[in-house]
Amino acid sequence: MIVEIGAFALVLSLVLSLLQAGASTAARLRRAPVLAAIGEGAAIGAFGALAVSFATLIYAFVVSDFSVANVAANSHSAKPMLYKVGGAWGSHEGSMLMWCLALTGFGALLAGYGRGLSAGLKSVAVATQGAIGAIFLAYTVFASNPFWRLIDPPVEGRSLNPLLQDPALILHPPFLYAGYVGLSVVFSLAIAALVEGRADAAWARWVRPWTLAAWSALTVGITLGAFWAYYELGWGGWWFWDPVENASFMPWLIATALLHSAVVTERRGALPGWTIFLALGGFTFSMLGAFLVRSGVLTSVHAFAVDPTRGVLLLTILGVTAGLGFALFAWRAPAMARGGLFAPISRESALVLNNILLAAATATVLLGTLYPLIREAIAGEAISVGPPYFNLTFTPLMFILLLLVPAGPLLAWKRADAGAVAQRLWLAAILAVLVGAVTLAFVAPRSLFGAAGLALGAWLMLGSLVEVAERIRLFRAPGSESLRRLRGLPRGAWGMTLAHAGLGVFVLGAVFETTWKDETAEVLSLGQRLDVGGYVLTLEDVRPVQGPNYEAERGVLRAVAPNGTLACTATPERRLYPAGGQTTSEVAICTRGLSHLYVVLGERRQGVEGQAAWLVSGYWNPWALLIFLGPGLMALGGVVSLSDRRLRLAAGRSAAPAKVQPVPEPVSAGGEA
Amino acid sequence: MIVFWIAVGVISAAVAGLILRRAARAAAAPQGADSTLPLYRRQLAEIDELADRGLIAADERRSAHAEAARRLLSAAEAAEAGWAPGRDRRRGLVLLAGAAPLAALALYLVIGSPGYGDQPQAQRLAQWRAMPPTQLDAPRMAAVLREVTKERPGDPEPYRFLSIAEMASGDAAAAARALREAIRLAPERADLWESLGEALMMQAEGEVTPQAAAAFQRALEQDPKAGAARFHLARGQIEAGEVEAGLAQWRALLADLPADDPRRPVLQAAIADVAQGPRPQTAPETAPQIGAPEIQAMVDGLAARLAAEPDDPEGWVRLVRSYAVLGDAASRDSALAVARARYAGDPQILSQLAQAAATEPMR
Repeated sequence: MIVEIGAFALVLSLVLSLLQAGASTAARLRRAPVLAAIGEGAAIGAFGALAVSFATLIYAFVVSDFSVANVAANSHSAKPMLYKVGGAWGSHEGSMLMWCLALTGFGALLAGYGRGLSAGLKSVAVATQGAIGAIFLAYTVFASNPFWRLIDPPVEGRSLNPLLQDPALILHPPFLYAGYVGLSVVFSLAIAALVEGRADAAWARWVRPWTLAAWSALTVGITLGAFWAYYELGWGGWWFWDPVENASFMPWLIATALLHSAVVTERRGALPGWTIFLALGGFTFSMLGAFLVRSGVLTSVHAFAVDPTRGVLLLTILGVTAGLGFALFAWRAPAMARGGLFAPISRESALVLNNILLAAATATVLLGTLYPLIREAIAGEAISVGPPYFNLTFTPLMFILLLLVPAGPLLAWKRADAGAVAQRLWLAAILAVLVGAVTLAFVAPRSLFGAAGLALGAWLMLGSLVEVAERIRLFRAPGSESLRRLRGLPRGAWGMTLAHAGLGVFVLGAVFETTWKDETAEVLSLGQRLDVGGYVLTLEDVRPVQGPNYEAERGVLRAVAPNGTLACTATPERRLYPAGGQTTSEVAICTRGLSHLYVVLGERRQGVEGQAAWLVSGYWNPWALLIFLGPGLMALGGVVSLSDRRLRLAAGRSAAPAKVQPVPEPVSAGGEA
Repeated sequence: MIVFWIAVGVISAAVAGLILRRAARAAAAPQGADSTLPLYRRQLAEIDELADRGLIAADERRSAHAEAARRLLSAAEAAEAGWAPGRDRRRGLVLLAGAAPLAALALYLVIGSPGYGDQPQAQRLAQWRAMPPTQLDAPRMAAVLREVTKERPGDPEPYRFLSIAEMASGDAAAAARALREAIRLAPERADLWESLGEALMMQAEGEVTPQAAAAFQRALEQDPKAGAARFHLARGQIEAGEVEAGLAQWRALLADLPADDPRRPVLQAAIADVAQGPRPQTAPETAPQIGAPEIQAMVDGLAARLAAEPDDPEGWVRLVRSYAVLGDAASRDSALAVARARYAGDPQILSQLAQAAATEPMR
């Protein structure tokens, strides 16, 4: 009975989303607040119903109800409980339900807390959000229903792809979807702005918290995905410029651009058209990702639905939604008011440059992702666009952008003094160049790219410190004054500093790991050794292990550090999941400071003289930890910034005039002072 | 079913209540002013504060202040008059809130499976355990026995039965796993080692792999007379080219078998086959797949029952799937054709049938 309650609640959510779209549209046309309230109530109700629905799906997975087709196809009664629960969103149908849950959830938040928006903007935004929700819910209900039942349930389920049975992968989709779908609110707000012909500072201030929330979630989601690829696939890498990775990266780039352009719109009332364009683009790229991953045009662990019908439907949804959005843009945007003039050297010009570079970077990623698909569709030959392409196009663009990042926050609005900014940054610049020179001199093998990359990372981090020092007038004002200013710094400013510094941390890790990693693979019998990155790995034992739903061979390798001490005992596993017949690798990672010694146990082979032997791969990944810590800092920056009082005001505090606030307001948010 | 209707009622009432409550609040609320103006005022105040803290210079303050003030003024001019609640037709709105759950229910009744209860695995297992074992097919039997092994962790017998059921459902790897557990509990039993060897052989499509040979050796250590172990080890020898040695082992085994042993004719035929001339390409399949005849009998029984009482969609789906699993394409297709004709009007059953027909054969 419980499963059928979920099936009903799903349909109810669809009907309520339709009501939300209809009532809110009617409210706008008739300027009727009660109708608007009905639309908002329906939005909250749609989320509530879908939450019930999602809970029943999790229940079906937990009790292994194989009469539910989705459970039978993606679960197994012997699977550990965590992965039974996670299996609820490990499949196409279940993840679509989660997508819709996020979509209605953000719709409910918009409806419930949108008090700072004008009635017209809000009702159109709620209507748009309802329409998007209804489209995706209709797709879920009619083409991808997770509650479809089997008359003759199988005795056992077919189990979840074991590669996905991993804690990082249980958390990766919720974060990623929160990010993808969070951009739908920004999309809806953009539509509302176009309909109302009003993309003013108030509107931009509304766009920012949503973008910030979506961006933070997306950052965490992508990082978790990269981390999973790093330790679960056992290929030693963390980013492969795989189309699926690119699919999540493009909305992130656009959201990053939008975060910065919304500041300009908010502070100067300028660039409204461009900000709206980015707001439409963010969710369009989210939907493009959903299509690429689910249509079967890609082969990947993510490509769970190799189903052309669904692909065509998703492409239609993408085409109609984005098409209508951009058509509206083409019609309405030219009429929108433009902001003030820009001086060439000013904060707003720097932000425009940031946007140009980010947009160009997105375009290169888009081309690299779609070109092979288009080529295959037209010429029928499969080609792959790999790292060489992205290194030649994306990396230089990013290099220029990152070089400019520390200067941006130091530039004043309207008219800035380039000389003064250079004066503030010279120490950081010298230190960064010094880092590069030391790297070039002492780190072997010598690499100009590596040295330049480390200098860039140091530049970003030092630049962030300079920015904070400037704000608190360190060494230029008395210590107590600096301390007072430090305490008074708004969270938005801290958020920006964290995000920019996190970028530096990431660059350091990514460059160091890419340039100076070491890898060796050898077939080892017991007692034999493998040298990697100065460490000596000795295969001491390989023993069978029985897991809850897998059988494994576990290697025991002693790792001896260059200084002769025992670094760690690595225990990589090679697992066989009998339910699906798949084999997976469980990587052993020894953390040494910021670096990783990464060991993979391969298949058993016949060694010399008939002895059993195993293919063992060892990787020395220096500073690899920074690759994941950096984006973590960036996401933290997003969350800190989101907790800024001023954004909370936009997100629903009763909008009392600032002058009667008892506590002095923080002076500025990220990138604004 | 009662639970379902209560839940539907509660959810529908909650949703309708939520919508109506918000509508009532909006109707009662005073006509609102444009809510964006405070935001502009706030921006002005922020600029003043910045300047008071010495973070922006005086001239920059003036220009920023002027720009923000201009925006406030233009926003105030463009401000919408608040929306008036009086324009809504109240009764229609109440109906709307009530109609949504009804519409959802109607749509659900069309596309859902109303009345289909949950089937948690624990409950199904309990049902199967309550049924007489003869009515269970091999996979269900295996599922039941897996539960029994959990309840009697120290007893090798349930594991042995489980291995037989797993083998009959075509999962030799699972059978081998069960036998390893049984052997862990009773390593002295030669029959378990023999069965393990056979399961490993099954996994390798009949080949006597080193692992299978090792299991047979362990069986012989426990019981030098173990027949199946001797037979397969010798067969392995013959396949490896040591024909004479293997034949000698088979002849010795034949001599040890009692006169009325049913395996004698099979063994004699195998010996004759090998001794006759060129070694056959495939080894004689003397150990028929355990359980296969039982499954065949069960499927035949189902076919006969459906011939007598054809109005059983579940039965047809199961029959089609069974033929597909057995790899009997001809019977599968004829059963599928009959069933399709019978349920041509029911897409749900048709899709179930198609799914069943697409089931992979077990070997």
